[in-house]
Amino acid sequence: MDYKFTKEDLQEIENLKSRYPEIKPVTLPALWIAQRRFGHVEPEVQKLVADTLGLPEAHVHGVASFYTQYYKEKKGKYVLDVCTCLSCQLCGGYDILHYLEEKLGIKKGETTKDGVFTLNEVECLGACGYAPMLQITNDTYVNHLTKEKVDTLIESLKEDKVPEYEKIEMPLRKNN
Amino acid sequence: MPEVIIDGHKYEFEGEQRLLQFIQDQGKEVPFFCYHPSMTAPANCRQCMVKVGQYVRDRESGEYEADENGEKVVRWFPKLQTSCNLMMSDGMVVHTQETDELVKRAQKDNLELILINHPLDCPICDQAGECPLQIQTYKYGPEGSRFEVKKVHKPKRVQLGPRVVLDAERCINCTRCTRFTEEISKTNQLTITSRGDKNYPTAAPGTVFDDPYSLNTVDLCPVGALTSADFRFRARVWEMNQTPSIDITSGKGCNIDLWTRDNLILRITPRYNGDVNDHWMPDEGREAYKLFNENRISRPQQKLDNEQILSSWNNAIATFSELIEITDKKDILIVASPHASVEENYALSKYANLMGLMQPVFVAHIEKGKGDNFLLTDDLAPNTNGCKLLGFKEISSKSLKTQVSKAQLVIFIQDHFIDRGILSTEDIENKKIVIFSSNHSETTRSADLVIPVTCVAEHAASYVNTDMRIQRSFPAKETKYSNRRLNLEMSEGRLDRHGTHFDNWVTEDNKIDCLPVWTFITEVAAFSGIDLTLEDGRSVMEEIAGSLPAFSGVSYEEMDERNGMNLSAEKEKSKTDS
Amino acid sequence: MSTENWKTYEPVLIPDIKNLHTIEVYEKNGGYNALKSVLTDKKKWPDQKSVINEVKEANIRGRGGAGFNAGLKWSFMPPADGGPRYLACNGDESEPGTFKDRKIFEYNPHAFIEGALIAAYAMEITTIYVYIRGEYRAYIQMMEKAIEDAYRKGFIGKKIFGSPFSVDFYVHSGAGAYICGEETSMLESLEGKRGYPRVKPPFPAQKGLWGRPTTINNIETLAHVTSVINRGAEWFKNVGAATHPGPILYGISGHVNKPGVYELPSGVPVLDLIHDVAGGMRNGKKLKAVIPGGSSTPVLRADQLDGITMDADSLRTVGSMLGTAGMVVMDEDTDMVDVLWRIAHFYHHESCGQCTPCREGTGWLEKILLKIKNGQGEIRDLDLLLDLTTQMEGRTICALADAAAWPVRFTINRFRDEFEARCKKSVHALV
Repeated sequence: MDYKFTKEDLQEIENLKSRYPEIKPVTLPALWIAQRRFGHVEPEVQKLVADTLGLPEAHVHGVASFYTQYYKEKKGKYVLDVCTCLSCQLCGGYDILHYLEEKLGIKKGETTKDGVFTLNEVECLGACGYAPMLQITNDTYVNHLTKEKVDTLIESLKEDKVPEYEKIEMPLRKNN
Repeated sequence: MPEVIIDGHKYEFEGEQRLLQFIQDQGKEVPFFCYHPSMTAPANCRQCMVKVGQYVRDRESGEYEADENGEKVVRWFPKLQTSCNLMMSDGMVVHTQETDELVKRAQKDNLELILINHPLDCPICDQAGECPLQIQTYKYGPEGSRFEVKKVHKPKRVQLGPRVVLDAERCINCTRCTRFTEEISKTNQLTITSRGDKNYPTAAPGTVFDDPYSLNTVDLCPVGALTSADFRFRARVWEMNQTPSIDITSGKGCNIDLWTRDNLILRITPRYNGDVNDHWMPDEGREAYKLFNENRISRPQQKLDNEQILSSWNNAIATFSELIEITDKKDILIVASPHASVEENYALSKYANLMGLMQPVFVAHIEKGKGDNFLLTDDLAPNTNGCKLLGFKEISSKSLKTQVSKAQLVIFIQDHFIDRGILSTEDIENKKIVIFSSNHSETTRSADLVIPVTCVAEHAASYVNTDMRIQRSFPAKETKYSNRRLNLEMSEGRLDRHGTHFDNWVTEDNKIDCLPVWTFITEVAAFSGIDLTLEDGRSVMEEIAGSLPAFSGVSYEEMDERNGMNLSAEKEKSKTDS
Repeated sequence: MSTENWKTYEPVLIPDIKNLHTIEVYEKNGGYNALKSVLTDKKKWPDQKSVINEVKEANIRGRGGAGFNAGLKWSFMPPADGGPRYLACNGDESEPGTFKDRKIFEYNPHAFIEGALIAAYAMEITTIYVYIRGEYRAYIQMMEKAIEDAYRKGFIGKKIFGSPFSVDFYVHSGAGAYICGEETSMLESLEGKRGYPRVKPPFPAQKGLWGRPTTINNIETLAHVTSVINRGAEWFKNVGAATHPGPILYGISGHVNKPGVYELPSGVPVLDLIHDVAGGMRNGKKLKAVIPGGSSTPVLRADQLDGITMDADSLRTVGSMLGTAGMVVMDEDTDMVDVLWRIAHFYHHESCGQCTPCREGTGWLEKILLKIKNGQGEIRDLDLLLDLTTQMEGRTICALADAAAWPVRFTINRFRDEFEARCKKSVHALV
């Protein structure tokens, strides 16, 4: 497939360049732009990023492969990153992960046949007080998971309804 | 002068110096993998740990503080330090593994960790025998392993590029290879991919590691992770003899080693010379080993009824002499060559002198744009400056064509003008052509007399590089007429010293029936009753140094002592001396 | 301070003010007065040094986990030479158990921005980057909005408050790598590279971003700077524990009834945090263990916690550390072998792979722990684990190997019975 940035993407990349004294630092944000555009950063996309920035392909590949949030292969439409790390483990993160495995009929790391869901087990997402939780495709956090909440989530995602950002109040506040 | 105390011995030092390098420079040892003197020190292998402290000075008096026993007080760093990236400072106290149990333990611990995911496949690994990991494990490593769980698996037999193969499981992540493409060859073709214990070096997917210097990463690799696609599985290192030589494929004259077994050169690796090529050489130069083994001319050849047939040395000598005798002197053209050594060219020129022939001319072998301001040069020949210093006239290709057309007898040496597209077969029709050559070519096939001569791997001879540096080769393989047991210039290998008759140099097959140019010229001169004896490269150079001011002071001893001599510097020196 | 005082503490960093995250509300509540004062009140703040001294005096100990005096760190910057100088704000929080800085991004981003601007002025910084972990997409967007607003209002940009001070402020998103919370690894990541920690020396103050002087501070640390300028070092020093003063955002998670982030003075008794602040143990279970400040800080048994307060000195007496004050609480049903294996799994996954002891050691630790967890371990494996921790600790470029080693060492030492019980009784099969 022939991957191309849109004019807007290129403008965004151009704007980013002014933030740094050299081009290399744009590697991470440019990979983000590419991933949002194409849904992944497979080698061809890595090459596009390298060519766009005028950086060595090996450099872009090294960076893309170091950071776990960049998808080095195609994923499902919704990537469910279930945290099982420490606090989430203590609060039932594995139960949620296994429940999802069962529900979606796939193992962690796999994508459903219809290409809608990819299920991953991930490291701490910084939502320890709201465990167990998961993140949808590098974006929305869904906290305080229960089996029921997972059921609702899957149903709504099937209808392409992505949940809103869940605001969690500071517990000592009374004013809101 | 600032001082540093290493294992209880005091050393003085000057300027900014890295501790590990300094320790090595003193002839001492601390094990390491990732450090390389020509590249940045990432301190990632963590093998070169030492214990470091500093004598405590009294702030006011500046004097060293002493304890009750009068011993200087040392303030130790709380952690062991990697010596590779540690800059030395005055009053630094260092304990290596030789004097400190903790250091010894730390190095052993580190080796145990390096080895847990290493496949330990030394018996089938090319690196075995010249493997820093193997050597240092033997010297400093644990006796066994406590690793009883599963190793990490990674890609094997990955053809990274045309010349380099990766076995990622053997990799210890020292990053020497990636640093090489970033810092030295600057192609940036390699990176470490993935993270943690899944890390390994690779080229970007879909790209080819075709860096013109790619094989240096094989030399740099401290394990068998990167191996040469060409040399892989060809020989064990301990079976080969290692002989210093000079790269003859470019004008730079990279210092190299030739690796010989059974009279075949099996590989070429760079040899350190800080003034020429540092630790590196271009991949192209490494392929030259094939020239030394394959397509060699063995026994003189002569044209008879328009067909080349094998001849004998007696016939060749007689034919050569006769050709010179029967041809009008002004019709004899001798074309010297930048592809031949100083000594070989000199032999021809001396012969021309004594016979009253015209002095040789030569045509430089230049390919514009080939050079890269690093080790590749536009000049494809190793000795263009040598020809100039011998006083030969440099002529253009066009002019060569004209001069050949006017001549009756043309003598070539190691230069293949038909193959180079400078002369055509028509140009040499009805001429008598004599060529001294090591290898067959279109040009040799058109010659009336082909004299097989030794190649750079078979003789000691000198070459003057593009920077006016004269450097010399050593014989690395035997010819039919040489014997490495008798020729002291030839190096001994491990098997020569320790092996049996059955495991080394067992065949006579690969000995070429050829002679050094100077030997042939000596024979020819004798045949013509001329007093000319050119015994070997060394004595020829002595004669040159004594007769040509450009070479004054040059000798094999000096070249060996100084790793080559810069002739323009010599000239400056002699100017100021006088 | 008496250990009871926390009960009357009113939050300062994240006060109970509606919509404080908007620049309008923030300004209405005295926002950017600290910056204005520092830039324009020459009587109070005659020069940059006076600001640094105030911050140094307040003894804000870095809230990222290392606990180093922020003002002292600032004073390490070499004199300005006209070239670029950088402030890199560390919002990568990824240490399991830590989820506090996101609260600042969400509820009071301008307190952080203002603190960072004050820091930039004090150190003559020319560009500020805030590095936020890529997973915090929502907070990245919030921060971008807040920075945009501050630019619009003229708090960031050229000649702020009419003073000669100009600075730029950008968000840089991570992309999934715990190691980038290590300060030099973060610099590498900011420079667009793989997040490999740098060898020190040179230290960032000498050679940081693009070889230029750089200071790295945690988000919470910088947010405290605003309070220190507003209220004075004296005030800050009098909040909480004497040697580790000021308010702290405690992140409490695990088996408690009301997990969350709480702003309280330092030095709150651990048991008070669990039983009073966080609403006690879930389901009425008994407390078994506490990890006080993120997964790398040594675990404490319930019986070690009497009288222990959340500050470095007190925690040291029982062999632990304050870290990020991200406390993980475990009840009596917790399987310590499982927990330790999961922590080891985390460090194995996050090791950058640069240094041998960490790259190889973290994986080895995890694999042995998995074996023990699965009932295949042997007693000697425990000793091997302990041995490996000494092989890793202090032998690498950054502290990730230490962070991986400590939990193993202390969890096994403090719960040895539990580990031994999971090991096979004999190396010989009993069949």
